[in-house]
Amino acid sequence: MFLVSYEFVLFFAAVLVLYYGVAGRFQWIVLLLSSYLFYAQGGIGYLFYPVFTTVTTWFLAGAIGSMSRKSKAWIKENNPGREEKKEHNRLVKRSQRRIMVLGLVLNFGILAVLKYFNFLLENVNIFLHGAGAEGEFVFVNWLLPLGISYYTFQSMGYLIDVYYRKYEPEKNLARFALFVSFFPQLVAGPISRFEQLKDSLYANHRLQLRNIRLGAERMLWGYFKKLVIADRLGPAVSVIIGDPQTYDGIYVFLGMVGYTLWMYADFAGGIDIVLGAARMLDISLPENFDRPFLSKSLGEFWRRWHMTLMLWLREYIFFPVSTSRLAKSGSKLAGIVSGKKAAGRIPVYMATLTVWFVAGIWHGASWKFAAWGMMNGAVLLISQELTPWYRNFHDAHGFVKTRMYSWFQIVRTFLLFACLEMFEYYSFGRVFFMLRSLVCSSSLSQLGDGRFEALGLKGADLLVLGAGIFAMAGSGFFKDQKSAGEWMEKRPVFARYGLIFGMFLLVLVTGVYGRGYDASQFIYNQF
Amino acid sequence: MKGRTILWFGILLPVSAAVLFLLQRLLVPKYMGRVVEGAFIEEYYDEKSPHDVIILGDCEVYENLSPAVLWREYGITSYIRGSAQQLIPQSYYILEDTLKSETPGAVVVSVSAMQQYEQDNETYNRMTLDGMRWSASKLRSIRATMMEDEHLIEYVFPILRFHSRWRELEEDDFRYFWDRRQVTHSGYYMRADVRPAGEFPAERRRSNYAFDDRAWQYLEKIRLLCQEKGITLILMKAPSLYPAWHEQWEQQIEDYAGQHGLMYVNCIEQKDDIGIDFSTDTYDGGLHMNVYGAEKMSRYFGEIFAQVPGVGNWPEGGSVSEIWEEKCRFYDEMKASQEEEFGRLGYLSQFAGE
Repeated sequence: MFLVSYEFVLFFAAVLVLYYGVAGRFQWIVLLLSSYLFYAQGGIGYLFYPVFTTVTTWFLAGAIGSMSRKSKAWIKENNPGREEKKEHNRLVKRSQRRIMVLGLVLNFGILAVLKYFNFLLENVNIFLHGAGAEGEFVFVNWLLPLGISYYTFQSMGYLIDVYYRKYEPEKNLARFALFVSFFPQLVAGPISRFEQLKDSLYANHRLQLRNIRLGAERMLWGYFKKLVIADRLGPAVSVIIGDPQTYDGIYVFLGMVGYTLWMYADFAGGIDIVLGAARMLDISLPENFDRPFLSKSLGEFWRRWHMTLMLWLREYIFFPVSTSRLAKSGSKLAGIVSGKKAAGRIPVYMATLTVWFVAGIWHGASWKFAAWGMMNGAVLLISQELTPWYRNFHDAHGFVKTRMYSWFQIVRTFLLFACLEMFEYYSFGRVFFMLRSLVCSSSLSQLGDGRFEALGLKGADLLVLGAGIFAMAGSGFFKDQKSAGEWMEKRPVFARYGLIFGMFLLVLVTGVYGRGYDASQFIYNQF
Repeated sequence: MKGRTILWFGILLPVSAAVLFLLQRLLVPKYMGRVVEGAFIEEYYDEKSPHDVIILGDCEVYENLSPAVLWREYGITSYIRGSAQQLIPQSYYILEDTLKSETPGAVVVSVSAMQQYEQDNETYNRMTLDGMRWSASKLRSIRATMMEDEHLIEYVFPILRFHSRWRELEEDDFRYFWDRRQVTHSGYYMRADVRPAGEFPAERRRSNYAFDDRAWQYLEKIRLLCQEKGITLILMKAPSLYPAWHEQWEQQIEDYAGQHGLMYVNCIEQKDDIGIDFSTDTYDGGLHMNVYGAEKMSRYFGEIFAQVPGVGNWPEGGSVSEIWEEKCRFYDEMKASQEEEFGRLGYLSQFAGE
C-alpha cells in the first residue's frame, strides 16, 4: 500500500474513524494494528523484518537499561570508593557496549545484506574479471522491505540513545513496536527520535476538527507536490538523464534543474502527506524540510534538507567518529607533522567524509551515490577551509549585504546542489563531460530542434508545471508550515475553503494518477 | 456553531458536490463521435416501450440485428443490450438489470463471447459498465469483470479514471454536456457503408478449445434466470467470417443447447438461408454486417421470434405502436443519410474521424 494509492486514502479514513472511535487508552493499539496491517499489505512475510528489528532492539535496549538500573542500585547499596566505582562503571559500560554493538550488527546487518549484497557481488565480479577469472557470482533477488532504512535508522538511534542513557528504554514491547512501525512514517520517514515521539504516540487524543483540517490541508499540499509536479516532471527528466548522448548542451541544465525539482517535489510531497496524516491523528512528527532552496550555502542547505537524516548522521556518526580513538590518533599525528591547526582538522575531516560516504550509500547501493556523497563532503570541507577568505571578502565589500547578493547566494547554492546531484545519475567521468557540454555547446535554439517534444511534455503540462512550481516556490515565503496554516486560518472562511477546494480540484484533475500509474514510484520509498 | 454547520451543509458542501458533478460530467467521454459504442448500454434507460425480445452480446449482436425491421415486418418490439467486447458475465448482469423493469418473451444471447472470459482491454469494460445504471447488478458486474489494474472506486467516481482528459477535451464534450444524441436504433448500430469480404489470415491452432468454466457458469446463470422468469432463451452465432468460429466451439454450444432444449442458430451455417451476400452485406470485409445484412438477419430471426408465445401482437395505433413508428422514422432517416453520404464520398465521414 502506497501513500498515493486509493487504498491508502480509504485505509487511512477507516483508521481515523476507528482511532477516534475507541477509548483513548486503546488508540495506540489501533495504530499498532493498523501499522502492521499496512505493512502486511505488501505480503505477510515482510512483517518479519520490522518485527525482528522491534524485538531485538527492544530486548537489547531493555538489557542495557536493566544493567544501568542494577549498576545504580549496586552503587547506592555498596557506596564504593571513587576508583572502585570507576572500574564498576567501566565494566558495565563495556558490557552495555557489547550489547549495543550486537544490536547494531544484527539490524544494520540485515539492511546491509538486503540492500548492499548485490552491490558487493557486482564489485567482486568486476575484481574477478579484472583478475582474468571466468564466471561470476549470480545476483540474488531479494525484495527490499518497504522503508527498511528508515525504521532501522530510527530503531538504532533509539538503541544508541539508551546506551548513552539519554532516556530509559520502553518497557512495553507493543508500545515500542508502534514506535518502529508507525505506518504514516514507515515508508518515507521522517526518522523520529523516541523521546520526541513517545508522548504524542502513546497519549490519549481527543478529536479536534482543527487537527483534521490542518492535517488534511497538509496532505493535500503533499499530493499536489507529488501528483501534479513530481509525477509530471519525473518522466521527462528521466528521459533527459537517461540518454546523455542525445540530451547534451542546454538539456544538461534542464536535467539538473528538473531532477532537483522533481526530487524535492517527490520527497517533500511524501513528507507532507506523512506529516498531514500524523497531524490528523494528533501526533506530531519532526519536520524534514525547512525551505532548503532559500539556503545561501551548501552547509545551510544540508541543515534544511532531509533534516532528520542529517541530524541522525550528525548524532550517531559525526560525533562518535570525531571523538573516536582513531580520530584522536590521527589528530595527534597531524599535530606533530603540521601543527595545531591541522590537528584540529583531522577529526572533522574524518567525520565529515564518513558521514557523507554513509549518506551516499544510504541513498543507493552504487558507486555513483558514494561519489555523490563524497563530492558533497569535499565541497563542504573546501567551503569550510575558505571560510576566512569569505569572511574577509564580506567585510571588505558592502554589496554583500544587499538583497541582490542574497539572491545570488540562493541561486548559486541551488545550482551547486543541482550540479552535485549529477553524480547520482551520471557516472563520475560523465559528469565532467556533461558539464563541459553545458558550458561549451549550449544554446537556446536546441530547445526547438525536436528533442524537447520527445520529452512528452505538452503545452498544457508545461503550464501546469510552471504554475505548480511557482506555487511551490511561493510557499517558501512562509516561515514554516505553522505560519502557512496560520495564514490560512486568518482568511475568511469562503476564501479559505475556496483555496483548499481549488487545490483539491487541481490535484483531482491535473494530478498524474489512475490507470497506468505506478504508486510505488516515490523516489524515497526505495531507501 | 449552528451558523457554521448551516454554512457547511447548506452552502459549501452542496456547491462543492455540484462542482464535482459538473466537472465529472465534462470529463467523462461522450462517445458521440467516431467511437459511439460506449453510449449503447446507457441508451436503454431512455426506452419507453416494453420489449418482446432482449438481445445480449457483443458486436455480433449490435451490428447484426435491426429492431426496426423486426417491428415493421413482424410487429415485434426488441432491444439489443450489447456493447463492444461485452463479456458473458456482463451480459448476465445486464439481463438481471433489465429483468427488474420488464420481462421479455425471448432473450437472445450471442455465444461468441464464450471464447473470452476475461477482459483484455479496459476501454471495453468502461464502455459496457459505465453505461449501466447503478444497482447491485452493476456492482456485481464490475466486480466480476474488472481487470487486475482497475479499481472499483474509479467506476463509482469516473472522474478518477477520466481526469486526464482535461488536456484533450473536444467540442463534443461541451456540446453533449447535458444531453447526448441518440446513436443507436434500440441498441442497433447502423452502418450503411459497404466493404466486401476479403481474405483473412489463417486462424492459428489452439492447444485448448474448451470454454472457460466461469463462462459456462454465467451462461448457465442466464439460462436459469430465463427459466425462472418463463423466458425463451435462444443462442446465436453471428455470420462473422473472422475471427474463426471453431468446430470444437460449435460442438460445445450444440451439446449445451441440446442438453437443455434450447434453440441454437449458427448464422454462418445458415447464411444461404438468410440470404447473406458477403460482397454487399458487410461494411468491414466480413467481420460485421452492414444495415443490409442486418436487415436480412432480422427477417430470418423475425420468423423465429414470431413462433415464441407472447411475442408481438401489439395493437395498432397504441402507444407502443407510436413509439416504434417514431423509431422507424429515425431509422429510415439515418439509413437514407448514410446511403447518400456513402454514395457521394465512398465512406462515412463520422466513422472516418472527420
